[in-house]
Amino acid sequence: MKYLLIAPPLAFFFAISLIPLVYTVWLSLTSTNIAGGGGWVGFDNYARLLADTFFRQAYGNTVLFVVIGVAAQYVLGLALALAVHSLTRGQRLVRLAILLPLMIAPLIVGFIWQTLLDSRYGPVNGLLRAVGIDPVAWLTDSSFAFISILIVDAWQWTPFVFLVLYAGLRTLPTEPFEAARVDGASGWRTFADITFPMLIPASIAAILLRAIEAFKLFDIVFYITGGGPGGATGTVSLLGYFTALRSGNMGYGAAMTVVLLLTVIAIALTSLLILQRALSRPDLSGEQAFARRQSRTREVEHG
Amino acid sequence: MDRIRRLALLGVWGLFAIFPVYWMAITAFKEQRDIYQGPFVVPGVDFQPTLQSWEYIAGTGRDQILLGFGNSVLFAAVSSFLAVVIGAFAAYGLARYKYRFGPFTNSDLSFLIVSQRIMPPIVAVIALFAMFRFVGLLDTHFGMILVYTWFNLPLTVFILTDFMSRIPVEIEHAAAIDGYGKFDQIRKVMLPLAMPGMAAAYLLSFFFVWNDFLLALMLTFRDAQTLPIVITALSAQMEPRWWLISAIGLLAIIPPALAAIVLDRFMERQVLRGGIR
Repeated sequence: MKYLLIAPPLAFFFAISLIPLVYTVWLSLTSTNIAGGGGWVGFDNYARLLADTFFRQAYGNTVLFVVIGVAAQYVLGLALALAVHSLTRGQRLVRLAILLPLMIAPLIVGFIWQTLLDSRYGPVNGLLRAVGIDPVAWLTDSSFAFISILIVDAWQWTPFVFLVLYAGLRTLPTEPFEAARVDGASGWRTFADITFPMLIPASIAAILLRAIEAFKLFDIVFYITGGGPGGATGTVSLLGYFTALRSGNMGYGAAMTVVLLLTVIAIALTSLLILQRALSRPDLSGEQAFARRQSRTREVEHG
Repeated sequence: MDRIRRLALLGVWGLFAIFPVYWMAITAFKEQRDIYQGPFVVPGVDFQPTLQSWEYIAGTGRDQILLGFGNSVLFAAVSSFLAVVIGAFAAYGLARYKYRFGPFTNSDLSFLIVSQRIMPPIVAVIALFAMFRFVGLLDTHFGMILVYTWFNLPLTVFILTDFMSRIPVEIEHAAAIDGYGKFDQIRKVMLPLAMPGMAAAYLLSFFFVWNDFLLALMLTFRDAQTLPIVITALSAQMEPRWWLISAIGLLAIIPPALAAIVLDRFMERQVLRGGIR
């Protein structure tokens, strides 16, 4: 009975995670192509990756999308969470408006934004033309295409960061804030000394979850730019797909995904270590800030 | 000052968040001409709304769109159900029993299952394509349900383990005294109590399957095509038919929204209403 309960998920784990994973690693050491040919090549694929400018660009893009994208989404999500939290009425409606993009499938998000940013018929350039600015090649100029993907990703996923941080804000105890008010602390001081430290666990959770998802970035790019122009917006997932299934070079494509997996594992493990440290330090869990406030309040009360 | 800045932020973000959805909604009522002469943003003033896209959906494009829509609903509904049921039993096991496989205990097992979520799906899916082709599961309904169940299990196990461990064990003891066997204890006592967690897990699973693109892109090509794959096929044609894809995009919001509305009631339900006193 006991083992029967966990047998199915473990069976799924072995059949659809572990065996494919082992098979992918094996593939990455061969020159297998989709038609069935190919043989053992050892680490040749990995050596080739190091020199492959397309792969290096895709890898760099993936990392940049994660770092810039998640950082921007965190700052925006935090600002929105604080703003909504401070509203005295209409919270429900504003929350709904903010969460709207989360409810649309990423592929359709890609479609909507492709039409919005279309250089000739899109409303974004229409607005620019109306105010007398030259239209921008949002999707066909490499730097603008990169920025466009960042904007679309932020449009869809900032609401997720908002949701986690807003939930975090709602569960904070009220005493420290009352103490700060008694102290006459400014809005900024209250934020820096109390709100932000107490939000650190929620912040780490939001950033970690977002980063893991951001490494998988595929659908939006696939639809909007297809990785172009000239690989400027390609990600490892996208390049791996095109290499393995469109060009039929399964061994080489598998090697790309193995590098991606190793990167994700390294980052996840580092973050978990940092997380454990952070949670065991009282000054980062907000307790110390709370204690500081309280002792200061006491001083005020007792003269 | 602070207040004004906050309201300005919310106003700007609100516009930024809503306009794309509004744009999709109005584009669904345009003709090709309105798109090429555009961008038009105010229906009735800039352009006259038409039902062209809806007529296409009900007519010429019906079979193809219905196939994608039906497959997406089927996969999302069935695989989420399987993931929640399998996940609930496993979560019960992890919450109540102590497992030991060599040096590995419960927390390692949970981590093993949940960690699959960290793995980018592209890593498994290239090999999965080859494996599915080998065993003849490529482009089959069964194969896709299998894959989506796998895709969601880490999530359901994660959510439900936490949920199950919060249900007091005394309730089960009471059920045992009443003569329930272990399986019945889980089925008739634990699962109903875990209903809010199961509803939430089902809803999230449904969303993930509904939104998936990569797995369907790799593993389906005709019979088991999902809605996103049909959409890419429709957009790949010569003239971009924005009106049509916008209309399908609007329709695509309905099933997850319905699921959310239906399941919302179950999530609200109190966990232990009158359980133990």
